[in-house]
Amino acid sequence: MIDPITLEVIWSRLISVVDEQAAALIHSSFTTVVREAGDLSAGVFDRAGNMIAQSVTGTPGHINTMANCVRKHIAPRHPIDSLNPGDTLITNDPWEASGHLFDLTIVSPVFYRGRGVAWFANTCHAVDIGGATMGGDARSLYEEGLAIPLMKLFKAGDVNQELIDIIRANVRVPEQVIGDIYAQQVGNQVGARKLIEMLDEYDLPDIEAVSAQILNRTESAVRAAISALPDGLYQDEIGIDGFDEGLKIACALTVKGDELRVDYTGSSPQVDRGINVVLNYTHAYTTYTLMAALAPGIPNNEGAFRPIEVRAPLGSILNCRRPAPVSARHLIGHFVSQPLLTALAEVIPQQVIANGSAGLWNTMMDGMDAAGEEFAYVFFSAGGMGAAYDRDGLSATAFPSGIMGVPVEAIESAAPLLMRRRELRPDSGGPGQFRGGLGQEMELEIITGMNANHSCMYDRTGNAAAGLLGGKPGAIGAVALSDGSHPHPKSHYVLKPGQVVTLKLPGGGGFGAPTLREPGRVLEDARQAYISLEAAERDYGVIIDIDKMTIDCEATQARRAEMTQNNESL
Amino acid sequence: MTLPQLLLAVDIGGTFTDIVVFDPQSRQIWVEKLLTSYPDPAAAVLDGVSALLDSQAISPDAIRYVTHGTTLITNTLIERKGAKTALLSTAGFRDAIEIGNEGRYDMYDLALVKPKPLVERRLRFDVPERTLADGTIWQELDTNALAGICDQLKDEGIEAIAICFLHAYTNPAHELAALERVQARLPGLPVSASHQVAPGMREYPRASTTVANAYVQPITERYLARLDRGLRQSGIEAPLNIMLSSGGTTTVDAARAFPVRLVESGPAGGALAGLYWGKRLGHRDMLAFDMGGTTAKAVLTRAGELSISNQSEVAHVHRFKRGSGLPLMVPMIEMIEIGAGGGSIAHLNRLGLPAVGPQSAGSDPGPAAYALGGVEPTVTDADLLLGYLNPDYFAGGDLPLDVNRSRTSFERLAAALGLSVDSLAWGLHQLVNENMASAARVHAAERGLELRRYSMVATGGAGPVHACGVAGGLGIRRIIIPPLAGVGSAFGFLTAPIAFDFTRSYVARLSELDLSELNGILRDLETEGRRIVAGAGVPADDISAQLSIDMRYVGQGYEVRVPFPMQRLDDNHIAVMQGAFEAEYRRFYGQLAEGVPIEAVNWRVLITGPAPQIDALVSRSGSASADSPPACRPVRFAADAPPQETPVFRRDQLSEEWRADGPAIIEEAASTTVVLPGWTARMAADGCLLLLREDER
Repeated sequence: MIDPITLEVIWSRLISVVDEQAAALIHSSFTTVVREAGDLSAGVFDRAGNMIAQSVTGTPGHINTMANCVRKHIAPRHPIDSLNPGDTLITNDPWEASGHLFDLTIVSPVFYRGRGVAWFANTCHAVDIGGATMGGDARSLYEEGLAIPLMKLFKAGDVNQELIDIIRANVRVPEQVIGDIYAQQVGNQVGARKLIEMLDEYDLPDIEAVSAQILNRTESAVRAAISALPDGLYQDEIGIDGFDEGLKIACALTVKGDELRVDYTGSSPQVDRGINVVLNYTHAYTTYTLMAALAPGIPNNEGAFRPIEVRAPLGSILNCRRPAPVSARHLIGHFVSQPLLTALAEVIPQQVIANGSAGLWNTMMDGMDAAGEEFAYVFFSAGGMGAAYDRDGLSATAFPSGIMGVPVEAIESAAPLLMRRRELRPDSGGPGQFRGGLGQEMELEIITGMNANHSCMYDRTGNAAAGLLGGKPGAIGAVALSDGSHPHPKSHYVLKPGQVVTLKLPGGGGFGAPTLREPGRVLEDARQAYISLEAAERDYGVIIDIDKMTIDCEATQARRAEMTQNNESL
Repeated sequence: MTLPQLLLAVDIGGTFTDIVVFDPQSRQIWVEKLLTSYPDPAAAVLDGVSALLDSQAISPDAIRYVTHGTTLITNTLIERKGAKTALLSTAGFRDAIEIGNEGRYDMYDLALVKPKPLVERRLRFDVPERTLADGTIWQELDTNALAGICDQLKDEGIEAIAICFLHAYTNPAHELAALERVQARLPGLPVSASHQVAPGMREYPRASTTVANAYVQPITERYLARLDRGLRQSGIEAPLNIMLSSGGTTTVDAARAFPVRLVESGPAGGALAGLYWGKRLGHRDMLAFDMGGTTAKAVLTRAGELSISNQSEVAHVHRFKRGSGLPLMVPMIEMIEIGAGGGSIAHLNRLGLPAVGPQSAGSDPGPAAYALGGVEPTVTDADLLLGYLNPDYFAGGDLPLDVNRSRTSFERLAAALGLSVDSLAWGLHQLVNENMASAARVHAAERGLELRRYSMVATGGAGPVHACGVAGGLGIRRIIIPPLAGVGSAFGFLTAPIAFDFTRSYVARLSELDLSELNGILRDLETEGRRIVAGAGVPADDISAQLSIDMRYVGQGYEVRVPFPMQRLDDNHIAVMQGAFEAEYRRFYGQLAEGVPIEAVNWRVLITGPAPQIDALVSRSGSASADSPPACRPVRFAADAPPQETPVFRRDQLSEEWRADGPAIIEEAASTTVVLPGWTARMAADGCLLLLREDER
C-alpha cells in the first residue's frame, strides 16, 4: 500500500511523463493532422494493458479506443513477458483499434531490471493509407486502403523493413506516413526513458501498485458520480443524415446504483457506405461524453470505464460487422454524444448542453496546382455548440471532437484555394433562453484555372441540432455552388474554375424557451448581428426600434404573451 | 571630479513598485520598494525616485540611464480597461478574432468559456480588398468604402483602430494605403497595422495581437508621456528606456507604437536577472526558478541565451490553462507559469488524493499562519510546520507567523488522509516540488533540452525554500541564490540591452529561396530596427544586427530556430543554412529526416545596442565571522524521521569564506534558503549563495 502523498507524487509524475511522450511525438511529426489539428493520443499502461494516464493533448476517438485496444487485444495476444526489449507493435485494424484504417496505433513495452513493467502507446491519424481517399464512398473495407493486422513494427530494436516496404508501396505520400510512424516510435521511446528515470528515482520495481490504486480510486470516484444520479432508464433518439438516407441513433441509459449501462438497440442497421462505426469507437465517444457530463474533474483511465457498459447490436450502424466500410466513421460516431446528453438532461439539466453541430466538417481538395504539380489538402471546420442552462453555446467550436481548425492564411499558403469569405453565420444559433452557438459560413474557389476534386464530409444538412428544455433547433448546414446546384454532402464532385462553393455550417441548439431570454440580451445579439431584427421578433418576441436600437417594451410584452399562449395551445 | 554615472531601473508590479539605482564606479546598489499607486502609477515612481535620490544625496543629473518595465499593459488587457477599439479587416473575415482556432482548451469542460474578443462584432468592419498568399493583389482596396467606414468610426467615438488584412505579412500595400487614408481622415487617432505589429502568418493570432496593441495604445501613450515628463521635471535628463517582453529595451516612441510588446516585461526582467547571475558564476545553461505567493515561474536558458518565442497568450480565462488566453504574436521570453506558490491551497482532489493549487490564498487573507483570516492549509503553512520558516523572522519580522494556526489548518486534511499533521506537511512540500519539477520537465522536453546538466537560479519569496527539492527532482546539482531577491526584475532591467526585433514570415524551400526578394525584406527590417535603436541614443557603430531563421522539414509544423550571420545572402549560404539546421535538428531529435527538403519559415532580425556593463557588485559581507556559533532549530527532512536540530544562519552576517553542509537554514528578510541534507552551501561572488549537491563539490 502506497501512502496517499507518494501516490499523488508518482501519479503527477506519470502525467508529466505522458505529456513528454506526446510532446516528442508532436514535435517530430510530419503532418498538420497530428500537429495542428491534434488528431492523436498518447498514454501509459500497466503490465496487463490497463491505461493509467493519458496526455493532455488528444481527441476522444483516439484516447479511449487506444485504451481498449491495448487492454483487449495487444496485452492478451502479446503478453508483455513474451516480448523483448526493443519490440514495438503496430495495428490499424478498425475493429480492434480506432475505427478506421487511417489511424495507426503503435505500442511499445518498457523493460526495467530485466522485466516488462509497462506499455506506452499512441494513436495518430496517418495522412494517407492508400485505397480510396478519405470519405464515405467506399462499399467495403477493402476499398479503403492498407490493413495492418497486429504485428511487430520493431523486433528487438530492428525495424520490420518488410512492413515498411509494404506501407511505402501502398500510400500516396510515403515520406509523411513513414516519417510519422517513426515519430510515434520516438514518442514511446521518450516515454519509456522517462518512466525508467522515475522508477529509479523512487526505487519502484514497476507501476503495478500505483496503477491498482489509481484505477481503483478513479473507479470509486466515477461510481460515486453515477450514484448521484437517480436510478432509472433515460432515453433519447435522434435522426441523422446518413449517406443517402436518414439514420437513427437511439440510446437508453440505465442507471442502477453505481453502474451505468448505455444500450444503442433501436439504432439503424449498418449501411454499405463508409460511415459505419465499430463498437470500440462508439464506446470511446460514449465514455467521453459521460465523463464530461458526470465527472469532469476525474482522470480518464481504465478505472473510469469499469462502471460503464456500452452495448450496440452487432450489425447496427454503431457496431458494424467486418468488412463494412468505415472510413468516415466520425460522421456518425460524433453524434452518439447528442442523444446521451439529452437523455441525461432529464436528471442533470445543469451538467449537459443542447445538441450542436457535432460532426466536424472535413473539406478535402485535390488536383493540379498552377505549376502542374499534384496537390491534396484537407482541413476541418466546426459549427456551433449547443447552449447550456446558464450560457450561450460556443460558436464555431468543435464538440465532441477535440480537433482544431486551420487558419485561412495557412490553407491558402498550402493549396491553390481562395477563401472568399469566412465568418459567423447569423441566425444559425438555435433560439432559446440561452442561444445555441453560431455556425460559420465560408466561400471557396479554386484559382489554378483548372478543375479540382472536392471531397465533402459534411453533416446536419438534413437534421438540425435540437434545442433542450424549450430551446429551439439550430440552423441546418448547406453546401451550394454558385450555379445554384447542391453537391452531395458526403461525396465528391468536380469544382470548376470560376465556380464558388458556399459552405454553411450548422448552428447549435438553444436551451430553455426563447421567450425567457432577457430582452437586453436579444437586443445585444441584434446589435452585434448574431441575429437579425426579424429573428429578434419572430423567434424571441422582442420588438426593436431600428432607429434608436432600443426595445419597444410594450410591443415586446404583447408579442411574448401571444407567443407563450400559442405555445401552450399547441 | 566627474559626476557619477548612475543607472536607474523602475519596475511597476501589481502590488509594489521597485526602484533600483546602481553606481558602476563604486559598484554599490540602492533599492526602494513602495506600493504601486492607482490610478496614476507614475506618481509612485516619481515619489520613490525622489525619495531614493534624496536619501542618498544623489543629484538627478548623475543618472545617465533609465530603464522601466510595467504590468500596466497586461493589467489593462486582463481587466478589459482599454480603449474603445475598432477593427478593419478584409471583407468577409472580421470574425477571425472570434472564430479563433475552433478548439476547446479543456476537453472535459462542457461549461468552457472562451476569451471574449477585445473588439465587439459591430465595431469590426469589412473593407473590400484582397491580397493572395503569394502577395499578388486579387481585389483592389475600395477606398470609397473605407471613407464611409471612417465616418462611422468618428460617429462611434472610436479611440483606437486596428487594421488586419489577409496576407498583409507578404504584401503590406493595402494595409499601408488604408493606414494612410484612415490617418488622414481621422487625425490624432492611434492606428495599428498588422504587418507592423505582428508580421507573421495566421490571421487569428495576428489580428488578435494587432487589436490588443490598439486597445492598450491610448492608455500607454498617456502613461508614458506623464512618466517621461515627470522624470524630466525631477531633473533626470537621461532618456527613458522601456523594457520589452523579449528581454530588450526600447525608446518611448517605439513603446508607444508597439505597446503590446511591453506585456510581461516584469517577468522578462526576472529572467534577465537569472541570466545575469548565472553568467556571473560561469553557468550558461540555466533554469531560472521564481516562486512567489501565488505562482511559480520558470525560464530556461541555453548557452547563455534566453529562448524567445513568437507565440504566447495573455489575459487567460483560466490562468494556468494553455489556449484560454488571447494569442499574441510578439517576441517574448518563453516561460512557464504554474499555480504553485506560498499561498497555494492544499485540498483533496476527486480521487481522494492530496493536491496543491492552483487556488491560492494570495496575500489576503493569505496562509493560515498569517492570522489574517485564512483558514485553509497552504504551502507556506507546510513550510512553517516543517521548521523551514522562522515564525519571528518572516519578511524580516514584519509579518509574525502563527504556527498553531498552521497546525489547525492542517488537521482536517490530515485526518481525512489518515496522516499526522507533520507527515502531511512533509508530503505537501514534496508534492508542490514535484508539480514544479514536472512543469519544468515538460517545458524542457518540448525544447529538446536535458536539465541534468543545468544550474538553477532560485528567486522569489518561496523559491529558495523549495529550490533544493525542485532541483533534486530534476537532477540539477547546482543552485544559485542571488542577492537582491526582492527587486530581481528591476535589477534585471539594468542588464538589458537596447534592442528591437522583427519577425517576418517568408516561407520557402531552401532550394527555392528568392534571394533578391529576401535580401530586400531583411534590409528593410534591419533599417527599421537600426532606426529605432539609434533613436535611443546608441551610436551607429555600437549597433549590431543578428539574424535567426526558423526552419523545418517540409511537412513539419514546428520549426527549429537557427542563428545565422546577418549578411547579404547569396547562393553559397544555402548549404550553410542547411548544415546549421541539421546540427540543431539532430540535437533536438537525435536523427535527421534524410532526403526531406528543408524550408525556412520565419526570419527574425534582432538589432541590439550594447548592454549596460554591470561587472560586479560590492559583496556586502557580514560582520560576524564564519565560526560564530549559529542558532539552531528542529527541522523536518523526512516523513517518518524526527526533526533534526539544524543550524540557522543570517545571510547578511555571512562572511565571504562561509560554508556549511546541509542541513542548514539561511534566513534573510526577503526569503529563506533551505539547504537539504546531501547539499552543501557557500558564499560565492557578488553575495550569491551557491548550493551544491555533495558529490558536486
